[in-house]
Amino acid sequence: MAGVVNTARLSARIASRYAPRYVSRRGFKVSAQDRAAQNYPMPALSPTMTEGNIANWKLKEGDSFSAGDVLLEIETDKATMDVEAQDDGILMKITKQDGSKGVKVGERIAVTAEPGDDVSSLELPADDSSPSVGQKDAKGAQQGAEEANVKETQEKAPERQQEPQQTTQSDAKQGGKAQKQTYPLYPSVGHILHQNGLSSADAENIPATGPSGRLLKGDVLAYLGKINKEYPAQSSARLEKLSHLDLSNIQLAKKAEAKPEQSKQKEAAVEEPVQATEIAIPISLSSVIATQKRVQDSLGIFLPLSTFIARASELANDDLPANKNQKPTADDLFNAVLGLDQVPKSSRGHFFPNITGITPAPIPARSAKKPDIIDFLAPKKAKAPKSAIPVAPGISATNNVFSVVAQAGEEAQATEYLERMKLALEQEPGRLVL
Amino acid sequence: MFKAVIPRVTSRSAALRTATPAQSSFFVASPSTSLLSQRLSQRRGYATPAEEKDLVIIGGGVAGYVAAIKAGQEGLKVACIEKRGSLGGTCLNVGCIPSKSLLNNSHLYHQILHDTKNRGIEVGEVKLNLEQMMKAKETSVSGLTKGIEYLFKKNNVEYFKGTGAFADEHTVAVNLTEGGETSVRGKNIIIATGSESTPFPGLTIDEKKVITSTGAIALKEVPKKMVVIGGGIIGLEMGSVWSRLGSEVTVVEFLGQIGGPGMDAEISKNIQKTLGKQGMKFKLNTKVVSGDDSGETVKLEVEAAKGGKAETLDADVVLVAIGRRPYTQGLGLENIGLETDNRGRLVIDSEYRTKIPHIRVIGDCTFGPMLAHKAEEEAVAAIEYITKNYGHVNYNAIPSVMYTHPEVAWVGQNEAELKEQGVKYKVGTFPFSANSRAKTNLDTDGLVKFLADAETDRILGIHIVGPNAGEMIAEGTLALEYGASTEDVGRTSHAHPTLAEAFKEAAMATYGKAIHY
Repeated sequence: MAGVVNTARLSARIASRYAPRYVSRRGFKVSAQDRAAQNYPMPALSPTMTEGNIANWKLKEGDSFSAGDVLLEIETDKATMDVEAQDDGILMKITKQDGSKGVKVGERIAVTAEPGDDVSSLELPADDSSPSVGQKDAKGAQQGAEEANVKETQEKAPERQQEPQQTTQSDAKQGGKAQKQTYPLYPSVGHILHQNGLSSADAENIPATGPSGRLLKGDVLAYLGKINKEYPAQSSARLEKLSHLDLSNIQLAKKAEAKPEQSKQKEAAVEEPVQATEIAIPISLSSVIATQKRVQDSLGIFLPLSTFIARASELANDDLPANKNQKPTADDLFNAVLGLDQVPKSSRGHFFPNITGITPAPIPARSAKKPDIIDFLAPKKAKAPKSAIPVAPGISATNNVFSVVAQAGEEAQATEYLERMKLALEQEPGRLVL
Repeated sequence: MFKAVIPRVTSRSAALRTATPAQSSFFVASPSTSLLSQRLSQRRGYATPAEEKDLVIIGGGVAGYVAAIKAGQEGLKVACIEKRGSLGGTCLNVGCIPSKSLLNNSHLYHQILHDTKNRGIEVGEVKLNLEQMMKAKETSVSGLTKGIEYLFKKNNVEYFKGTGAFADEHTVAVNLTEGGETSVRGKNIIIATGSESTPFPGLTIDEKKVITSTGAIALKEVPKKMVVIGGGIIGLEMGSVWSRLGSEVTVVEFLGQIGGPGMDAEISKNIQKTLGKQGMKFKLNTKVVSGDDSGETVKLEVEAAKGGKAETLDADVVLVAIGRRPYTQGLGLENIGLETDNRGRLVIDSEYRTKIPHIRVIGDCTFGPMLAHKAEEEAVAAIEYITKNYGHVNYNAIPSVMYTHPEVAWVGQNEAELKEQGVKYKVGTFPFSANSRAKTNLDTDGLVKFLADAETDRILGIHIVGPNAGEMIAEGTLALEYGASTEDVGRTSHAHPTLAEAFKEAAMATYGKAIHY
């Protein structure tokens, strides 16, 4: 029996829980017929955004959208951002067209309707949105709730004292929001309140203009009518502005590229032939070829000449003496003075040799297409002369000129590089592949 | 030399061998490609692909290292690129820290020379050992920079020693100091490359005869005559050091006051008088027309700023301290199309973003005062913008300090700025000569000055010249941050006997009357 009663109670409770919701929904539906159109305010895309330009609308009037669709693009001084719909709906009317400039956050930019509503029968709501409303929205619901509390207490306030009575009426003028002071009151504030027969509870009724809604001495003075009521808010606004970097009137560096580049090109044209030097050195590849043959005979692996050259080059590029053009920076020098760090004396090179063989081979053979080392290295060709020593035209077994192009100041590096190449290829080619 | 290199190839050749098959097929495909690209492809073969970081910071100065540590604490995977070889940037290596070491020690020396007899201390022969003084400075510097390296490890910050340059919007190529190259990719990138001394046109800086602040903390001997071009904070601090150590220092300043445009005019006059008594000479409203550094000494042609009589100054050492400029050279900004303004500062929005939103800029290489603590604030705020979408720096409450003796410190606005904005204000001052602690210390030069709103009493600016001003300004900054009135400060207890009582009394003098004056 008890069980039945409980079940009945439970279902009643569930029913009662749903009832108000149903009613409210119905109520909403009813009102939807005349007031479902909602103002769509300019959104704040960042905490600091106060206004923006409308780049373009992605939808036309009358289009429906669903949550997540991009409605429009907004330009701020920083970036262009897409604005997505939070809910499904219909874009009923656009009140700020593409290209609208300086639209304040919170200002109405469009009117939207609920999905499924007959747009033609809906009335446009009044433009009740003002920038301040939007800012309020941005600050969040919590503050709104607090404000509601404050309003209640403000209504009671006039009964208590005559002075606050006159000031409550002019609250709007004074600016700033009255709110619960969660921190201890400032010494000056506590003092003045006491002197004027106000309690610390009254502090909650006084519009506060300090950082994070703190109540300042000036706010109390304004509340008491001792100074101009609007002044604390104006002063706070001025100081708030000072607290941000002044990023207005940025004058971009002139694109000086046009001129210097031209002159640079001229300089380059004049100087390049002088600056770059080709440094060459004869290197015999005979010992490389011998090693190659030895490896092939003993291990059965054919190593192309390019492997030897690439590895020798890799090695030779290591730790080259520093470029003369590279001046040590002031930091380098100072660090050297402090003994923190040595001025770097070596750097990695980026050379790779051009190889020209000096062979008595008849020239016509090469004239059609100058054989490249690549042609020689391609496996296709490498297969063919398996038995013979694979010396192709363009590379000689004994006399090859290895050359590199050195920019001005790099001569020492280039010479060192070539010396090392010679050493590696002529003396110890075996070590390159071991 | 070459032989020594050889063993290293063995490890490399192992990797090379594995790359060989790919390499030969590569050749078949495009036989005309040069060997160079083959080499590049091999490289790619055995270089480990760079892992993508949440954040890459270019520059390990105050802005960069603080951002790196903060990011590490917030759990981001972070890398910091620094080319100097030691962290801490200009501030720790060649700026704030070494100069403070010299300022403190030269002050001690100066005091022992001139200010011990009347205190009842008889000192024998006093000798300067400049080498040792420099060593003491180096010990401080290296201790602090190593400390940051430790903090990096503690907070899992990967530290690249090398020069970073943008390869693309997400990749920074690093030319490693120890040779070789690498690159690092970041979802976010922070540019914190700092600033360098602005050179003076016509003088070649060799850091020996013509020096910047970097050379001024590393002179090998005390120059007989020193001319400082620029009477700002850096010029006056370094001028003080060498003046105390025995140089005849002349400061040439284009403006009508020393200390730079931010210093309150009354404070500026006060400190000029005191520094003058210490032996520094000042030429205000004077511009340097030309310089000649070819001879043994440096000759400077100066004349009155508004045109007038010319004069030649002769100096063993000329310190160029006319300001600093953003340093973004070699950063590869052109590769990603970032813009600077006409003074070389990288353009940002209020959240430090460039026009490429994942690249942010903080510290000296962008807008705002070039101060280490400003860079530090921005570093924390920038990381909070990345992780929490909101950060906070109050640019109206960033203090400035000049570490001469007496020190000068200020926060907020000065009288000239308030007049320009048409703000009605009241002034309250209190001299250290009426402060008990200053009296007992026989160190009574200077005053505390409050500027408060005439209507609301809210503090608008605090300006101090006097002993310990740099520490005292912290209280003023806090008051400004909280929007306090002078009465709030005046009704707060300050210990007795302290110099800080002068601060309280100056506040009292602003809204009412000081007790002891």
